[in-house]
Amino acid sequence: MTATKQKLSTKYPITWCPGCPNNLILESVKTTLSKLIDSGKYKHQDFAMVTGIGCHAKIFDYLNLSGIYGLHGRVLPTCLGLKIGNPDLSVIGFAGDGDAYAEGIAHFIHAGRYNADFTYVVHDNQSFSLTTGQATPTSQQGYKNKSQIFGVVDMPLNSIKLALATGVNFIARAFAYDTKHTAEMLERAIKHRGFSFVEIIQPCLIFNLDMNNLNKLFYKIPVNKDKAKAEKLAEEWNYNTKEGKIPIGVIYEAPSSTLKEKYFRKSASLKK
Amino acid sequence: MRLNILIGGKAGQGINKISAIISNALSKQGYFTFNYRDYQSLIRGGHNFNVLSISDQWIASHESKIDGLVALDELTLKLHKLELKPAGFIITQKGFEDLGRNLNVALSGALIKILGLDKKILLQEVKTQLGDEAAKAIEKGYNSQKTKFSLKKLNNNITIMSGGQAVSQGAINSNIDRHIAYPMTPATGVLHELSRMQLKNDNLVVFQPESEIAAANIALGVSFAGKRVMVGTSGGGFDLMSETLSLQGMSEIPLVVYLASRPGPGTGVPTYTSQADLDIALRAGHGEFPRIVVAPGDPIEAIENTNECFYLSEKFGALSIILSDKHLAESEFSLNKQANKPLRVDVKRKLPGKTIVKTSSYEHDIFGCTAEDTKIINQGVQRRLKKYEDIKKEVQKFQMTKLYGKKNSKNLIFAWGSTKGAILDAIKDLDCKFLQVLYLKPLSSEIKKEIQKAKNVILIENNVTGQLGRLIREKTGIKIPNRILKYDARPFRSDELKIQIKKMLK
Ligand SMILES: Cc1ncc(C[n+]2csc(CCOP(=O)(O)OP(=O)(O)O)c2C)c(N)n1
Repeated sequence: MTATKQKLSTKYPITWCPGCPNNLILESVKTTLSKLIDSGKYKHQDFAMVTGIGCHAKIFDYLNLSGIYGLHGRVLPTCLGLKIGNPDLSVIGFAGDGDAYAEGIAHFIHAGRYNADFTYVVHDNQSFSLTTGQATPTSQQGYKNKSQIFGVVDMPLNSIKLALATGVNFIARAFAYDTKHTAEMLERAIKHRGFSFVEIIQPCLIFNLDMNNLNKLFYKIPVNKDKAKAEKLAEEWNYNTKEGKIPIGVIYEAPSSTLKEKYFRKSASLKK
Repeated sequence: MRLNILIGGKAGQGINKISAIISNALSKQGYFTFNYRDYQSLIRGGHNFNVLSISDQWIASHESKIDGLVALDELTLKLHKLELKPAGFIITQKGFEDLGRNLNVALSGALIKILGLDKKILLQEVKTQLGDEAAKAIEKGYNSQKTKFSLKKLNNNITIMSGGQAVSQGAINSNIDRHIAYPMTPATGVLHELSRMQLKNDNLVVFQPESEIAAANIALGVSFAGKRVMVGTSGGGFDLMSETLSLQGMSEIPLVVYLASRPGPGTGVPTYTSQADLDIALRAGHGEFPRIVVAPGDPIEAIENTNECFYLSEKFGALSIILSDKHLAESEFSLNKQANKPLRVDVKRKLPGKTIVKTSSYEHDIFGCTAEDTKIINQGVQRRLKKYEDIKKEVQKFQMTKLYGKKNSKNLIFAWGSTKGAILDAIKDLDCKFLQVLYLKPLSSEIKKEIQKAKNVILIENNVTGQLGRLIREKTGIKIPNRILKYDARPFRSDELKIQIKKMLK
């Protein structure tokens, strides 16, 4: 482990299940942050994170970064608050798919509009894992779980399409097992000026096992800046099937003015 | 000397303009005013009225019997004629039908003449603010009446302020950096006022997010990042914030909440008043954690209490709630003194960007990492408990209660918040004293002492269950049997209240 990676780690014992891909996401995050810090362009203490509540959120205890271990579903407004409080912080929010698309969906719809300059990472394991595997809005039809003994009957939500429709200007998808690619996506997202959304597909080894073996479906795409193309890419996978292809990479990227430019235009004092 | 003038009409006809013009002219003449605003939840039409109460002494209430009726429409005449005293005057729109939008200024002119006020200053102001047509309308109104009263110039220096403006001023005095709010009457006044104040305060940013849930969580983020922040809301919005208030308790991020109540439950009676939210202010949010709840009774107290809330929240990493209501927030008071010099609110915490600092909604260790171990849990619980003890000590330096009236009377009145004005005006020549409770949490030990000294204790509240009474009983074991409760969504009127109090005096 590099010295910077060491500094980014805590001594806190890891309580994720053995082999949980959350460990890999943690590793990718550390890779990205240490690269950015080592480049000299970012300072360790300038990063701040916010997490929701769920398995994913335990990353809070394992990363030696400032931040708030917040409420279930409230990652986005808490991140937004950090940016409204201090626009110079580099903020990263970690949410689960339950957090992001169930409890906190109302905030997601506005994130593109506000376009505050922070990164939103959704660990999508297509299940509420910490509460023992109930279905989330991205669980596939037929998924039998303890609260839906007949299985999920509703079609899943396509979060990438939603992000595109609500004006998010940086949308990427990654696969937790591909740590190098995930780290690259995170780096691009953090460097993007404005709101950036990275969805990491993360199999859960305990619940919703049916969605575990998607590996063969993933294929990497080059950075896409074309909206029409992005819409097609978003359509390629509907979270419901294990067929076809699942694009990973930067699905859409476009420049836009950020919350800081919009709200703090008048004020020089904030730039200090 | 006391006069009450009722100005009524449809929403959009400009009754607020009339009361503003008149109270402005009156305060220049050295007279105290209190303007009660009674309006419906609609934008145009309906029936709205203001009662402008006038006196040569400080007042903070209106009365039920009126000396003058200014009717911008027929309905006002019909609804309020019976409230007029025998010698009362009426001004209607008759004779001014051709003035259109300037009807309100014409009626202001008429009122100025009746009250015997100088029209010169007014004319000048109206001309510059509203133009020549309006000035002509004033003249026309003025010439239509005979002088009935002659309000000689008094030597008082008066400014006019609503409770909402006062909370905004208190926030500005505390160097507020961010105000985060979602519109909800009667808290919206502060949102608008602070938004306007951005023009003069470069560091202030006002942000209206998608919901109260967002507002509260944004505020915690802002505060964690090192800025002084206040959220503003009313009952329903406050309910939505309660999970985040609980997060405040665990994360210990400073947070100031302005809670302006209106009658509930549900959407209730949105543009009217009530003191029914003391219970939620005291208890909203799961788990046990410290908080401060302060209820100012007039604008000066609103300025001071708001500043105290910012100070206490920042000093202790605590939740402070400024509890107000529609009656205080939107009524316009005359101020005859200055607020205390504000306390400085300095952010001396560890901040992200400067060092690594973590906090959590989970029970956590000193590094901010999750803890389930009994020792750390106990430490966390004890720390929160101790914090409340420290807050209790600190608030001793503020006026947690105020005593008015005849200090050695055996009759004691208890009340809090916006009822203060009507009570003070009602008891002017009664044999009683009045203990106003400003700090509802922590509660002052004076309360028990005063109850024990008194023979006859009377509780006055603008709600149906007597929430302060319940709180006092919880803290002192003493039940207050005599209660004057009003719960028709209207505030007390001092003349009626006086009769009610008199009946209960011993
Ligand atoms: C307001 C609220 N509702 C419910 C819960 C219970 N809860 C804890 S974790 C969780 C689900 C987490 O699912 P997800 O966000 O997908 O994260 P994962 O555990 O799968 O990483 C829920 C519902 C909560 N903590 N707060």
